[in-house]
Amino acid sequence: MDPTGAGPYTAVVAFRDRLVATIRAARPVLEPRGVLVVGSEVPNLLEPGAAATLVVSQDLDVGVPVAIHGAVKQRLGQLHGFEPSPDEPSVWTPRSPELLELNFVGMDPAQDPAEAYVLEDDRLPLMVFGPLSLVAPGPEIDIEGTRVPLPRPAGLFLEKLVTDRTGEKGERDLLVALGLLSVAGPGDLDEIDETYRRLRPELRHALRSNLTILSLLGPRAGMPDPRPRRADVAALLRRLEAGDPDRS
Amino acid sequence: MSQATTRSLERRLRQMRSRLLVRSWDYRQRRHARGVWFRLRRVLADASEAYTIPRDEAERLMAEGHRADPVGCELEPRKLLLFASAERVARIGSARPLAVRLGAELLAAECLALVPFDTAQGTGRSPSE
Repeated sequence: MDPTGAGPYTAVVAFRDRLVATIRAARPVLEPRGVLVVGSEVPNLLEPGAAATLVVSQDLDVGVPVAIHGAVKQRLGQLHGFEPSPDEPSVWTPRSPELLELNFVGMDPAQDPAEAYVLEDDRLPLMVFGPLSLVAPGPEIDIEGTRVPLPRPAGLFLEKLVTDRTGEKGERDLLVALGLLSVAGPGDLDEIDETYRRLRPELRHALRSNLTILSLLGPRAGMPDPRPRRADVAALLRRLEAGDPDRS
Repeated sequence: MSQATTRSLERRLRQMRSRLLVRSWDYRQRRHARGVWFRLRRVLADASEAYTIPRDEAERLMAEGHRADPVGCELEPRKLLLFASAERVARIGSARPLAVRLGAELLAAECLALVPFDTAQGTGRSPSE
């Protein structure tokens, strides 16, 4: 029960308002070429009109290529709506409840997708996640005057499925992948297939294993219901397995 | 940036690498007992509907040529998992629908009739939630 008495529609609108306000406030760090919004908000932003009905999250993940880390760091002083978290160096917390957290993550296209490392820095240290090396720049959308650089859905879908996660966070990330699958077109599915075949066997297995978990998840509040999409997941599994010599 | 905050990133990195080691271990054992849960999930992922059915009905399905999936023999107690068309399952009056997920009811069932996606026509039953 919503203690405010607000219904689901009101909750979605309020969340979209926070997301849009966060994007506007984060504009200085979204501007350098190469920065991407990479987290659970991407399916929301890829919806028509960035309707933000799919996934409710409390942060905006900002992917920073290590090659332009310095350019992003220079702009941190312009983030007037946020301050560095005292607990987590890559998180900037909002000064107002009308904004979401910013979570900076590092991206290195040359990195092994199964590895991770810490980019040391006095002001903006980053965890550089190997699976994010699968992510490539995609469409740029305009959210009320702010340019929002998004990744191609295929790469982010693969990143969500090869990243090793556990528990509640892991299941929510799988549902984010489902949100991406729901906005993926035939070209995106071809790209998923092509990239999958370039992964080494262990990562291909991890990806298929996570798809089976996704197929058997129940619905969760604020997340896309996986049940109506189970047939799509099964079809994708069969497609990926076709011709894969290591599909057991 | 304090040393404490950098340490928090390094701690996360160590945790992540530990999980990756476990995942690699799981992968190496995928064809052994440890891989049974993946194989069970993989079978269930192909099922649009699942029903618990009595043993005699499962044996009747096998007599008709429906093959039990080998993953059922890897579990203890053993299970019979049989794919059958929605029309065939609809003729089993005692079939009871289950939600297709790794829930207690499904795991407790000895015999499961599974309807594959490509033949699912709907049986008029809704999986229990």
